[in-house]
Amino acid sequence: MKVPAAGAVMSGQSFATLSGRQGRIGELLGAGGQGEVYHVVVDGLPFALKWYHQHYTEIDTGLRLRLERGVRRGAPTTDFLWPLDLVEVPGNSSFGYIMPLRKSDFRGIRDLISPPPHRLELTLASRIILCQQLAHSFFELHAAGFCYQDINFGNIFVNPDTARILICDNDNVNIDGADASIYGTRKFMAPEVVRRESLPNSRTDLFSMAVLFFYSIFGWHPLDGRRENDISVLNPELEMSLYGTNPIFLFDPDTDENGPVDGVHDWIVARWQSLPHTLRQLFIRSFTVGLHDPSLRVLETEWMNILNLIPGSIHICHDCSFEHVISIELKKPTAPSECLCCGEAPEYSPILLLGSRIIVLNIGQEIRAEHLDSADDATTIMAKVESHPTRANLIGLRNLTNAPWRVSLPEGTSHIVPSGQAVRIAPGTTIEFGKSIGTISDVNMLEPTS
Amino acid sequence: MQGDRIASLNYAMRTALPELRNVAADNPEVDVRMSVLRFSSTAEWQIEAPEPVENIQWTDLKAEGETHMGDALRLLAARLTPEAMPGRQLPPVLVLASDGYPTDDFESGFDAFFAADLTNSAIRLAIAIGSDADNDILGRFIRHPDLKPLKANNATDLVKYIKWATTAPVKAASSPTNSPNPLQEFAQEIDEDQPVTSDIIW
Repeated sequence: MKVPAAGAVMSGQSFATLSGRQGRIGELLGAGGQGEVYHVVVDGLPFALKWYHQHYTEIDTGLRLRLERGVRRGAPTTDFLWPLDLVEVPGNSSFGYIMPLRKSDFRGIRDLISPPPHRLELTLASRIILCQQLAHSFFELHAAGFCYQDINFGNIFVNPDTARILICDNDNVNIDGADASIYGTRKFMAPEVVRRESLPNSRTDLFSMAVLFFYSIFGWHPLDGRRENDISVLNPELEMSLYGTNPIFLFDPDTDENGPVDGVHDWIVARWQSLPHTLRQLFIRSFTVGLHDPSLRVLETEWMNILNLIPGSIHICHDCSFEHVISIELKKPTAPSECLCCGEAPEYSPILLLGSRIIVLNIGQEIRAEHLDSADDATTIMAKVESHPTRANLIGLRNLTNAPWRVSLPEGTSHIVPSGQAVRIAPGTTIEFGKSIGTISDVNMLEPTS
Repeated sequence: MQGDRIASLNYAMRTALPELRNVAADNPEVDVRMSVLRFSSTAEWQIEAPEPVENIQWTDLKAEGETHMGDALRLLAARLTPEAMPGRQLPPVLVLASDGYPTDDFESGFDAFFAADLTNSAIRLAIAIGSDADNDILGRFIRHPDLKPLKANNATDLVKYIKWATTAPVKAASSPTNSPNPLQEFAQEIDEDQPVTSDIIW
C-alpha cells in the first residue's frame, strides 16, 4: 500500500484558491523532488496545480513570499507559465499554486540533445526564433527587477511546428540581488556560482542564457572541447575545473587548449563557421571575458539585435540540407563557396539587402513590416516572392502594400510597381518601399576559413 | 527606492549603455561623453568629468531609503552653464531615472534647474521605474507635450529619442516647406517611354 507523503493531496479533492476561486484536483501529470503537478479545473477552466511536498516548504522558507509576489506582479510575458493564484487545502499544512496548463504539442528542449529517435530536430531558423523569444522574455523579467536563477533546458518547452516557447518552473524567480533559493543546474551555472563565490542574480542569468543559446543552436555545451573529450571518468574535481575554476570556450580565439577535436566536433565546427561573424562575436564575448567578468556578459537586447537578422538569411544546401547563414562581410552579402558540411558547390538565390538585413529570395519568402521599418504591425506581410505565371525561369516580388513602389532596374530604367503587382527579381535592382530602400544582389562567395 | 525597483533601474541603465556605445561608434564625428549623478539620501556626482561613453561601465546602485531629487536637480543646474560646459557642442541630453517620489524639497530644485542657462536647450528624457511610478514629477522634468517617460523595459528607446532630438534641427533646415508634393515628383521621374513589359512587372 502506498502511503501518501506528509502534505500530499489526492485526485478528486476540492479546494479554494486564496483569491476565492473554486477548484477540483484531477489526474497527476508529473512528480519531482519539490512536489507534484496535477491537472485541475478552476471555475470550469483547465489549469495546472503544482503542489509542494511539505518537507520542501519547510526547507525553502522564502517560497511562499516569492509566489505571492509573483501572483501580484503578473507574468512578464505570455511565454511564462506564471503562478496565477495560491492554493491551500483544509487540514493540510503544505500549499501549491495554479498556473496555465502546458499543451501537449510542446516538447522539452532537453530533447535537442537526446539520442535519436527521440531527438528534437529543429531548423536553424526555429532554433534562432526560440532564442529570440527567450531573450525577449528574460529581458522583460530582468527589466522588471527580477531574476530567474535557474535558467536551463529542463525549464523550456517549444512547439516544434511554430517554434513558440514556454518557460516553466517560475517559483525560483526573485528580486534581483535578494538571497537566492538555489544555485542552479549543472553545466548552466555561471563559473562564480559553480565556485560558490556568488548566488544567482541577473548577471549569472545572462551566463546561463548564453549557455542555453549555444545548446539550442549547436546541441552542445560551449565549454566542452578537447579537455572534456580527453576525460574518461568525470569526477567532481575535473567538473569544477571545466565549468568553475578553469573554464575555456570551445572556440576561444586566443587558445586552442580546449579547441575542437577532429572527428569529434566536426559538425559543431561547421555550424560555427556557418554563422555570421556578429553572432560568433557575442558567443566569444560570453565565453571568454564574460566567463570572468559578469559586467561584460551579453545583454538580451544585444542578442536580439543580432538574432533578429538571421531567420530570413538562411541558405539550405540542395545536396545535404546543411544550413548556412548569408551575412555581410566587408560590406557584401557573403557565404562560403562550398557547403561547409558536404563540400558541394552551392547555388545561392538572389538576396534582398535592407540596411544590415539580408533576406533570401526563395519562392514563398515573405517580407514583413518589421523588415521594412514600417509603422504597420510587425508581422504584416508587405511582399512575397512568387514565380512568373507563364515563364518558369522568372521569379518576382509581389507588392502587397497599399502604396506603389519605385524600382530602378540594372539596365538603368525606373518603373512604378503598383499595389498588387510583382517586379522581376534581378540582381542590381533597387526597390523603394516607402521609407526603406532594398537592393537585390547576388551572394559573394568566399573560400571557407576557420 | 528599494528591492525590485532599484534592480529595475540598474537593468535599464545597463541595457541603455551598449545602445549608446553603438550610436557613438556609428557617429565618429560626434564625441559622445557622459556624466553620472546619483541621488538617494544625498546627491553626488558618480562620474563628474564627462567620460567617453565607450569607457563607462554601470556600477549597480544599492537600495537606500531617501530620494533627494531636489538636491540632484540643484547639483545638475550648477553644471548647465556656459562656464561649466565651454566650447561648441550639441545640446546636452539629460536622462532622469526614478520612481518619481522625491523626499526632499524638490520644488526649489526644479526652480534652480529651470533657471540654469542650458536647461531649456537640453534634451530632457526620463525613465519611470516601477509600474506605479509618479509620471507627473517625471513629466515636470521633461516639460515637453509629446514626450512621455520611458519604462525600464524600453530604456533602449532612449537612443531613438536622442537620435531624433539631435538630428531634428538638421532635417528641418534641409526640408523647405514649399517643396513640391513628394508623390508628384516621384511620378515625373519615371521613364515614361520605357514600356512596362510583362517580363519586368506583372
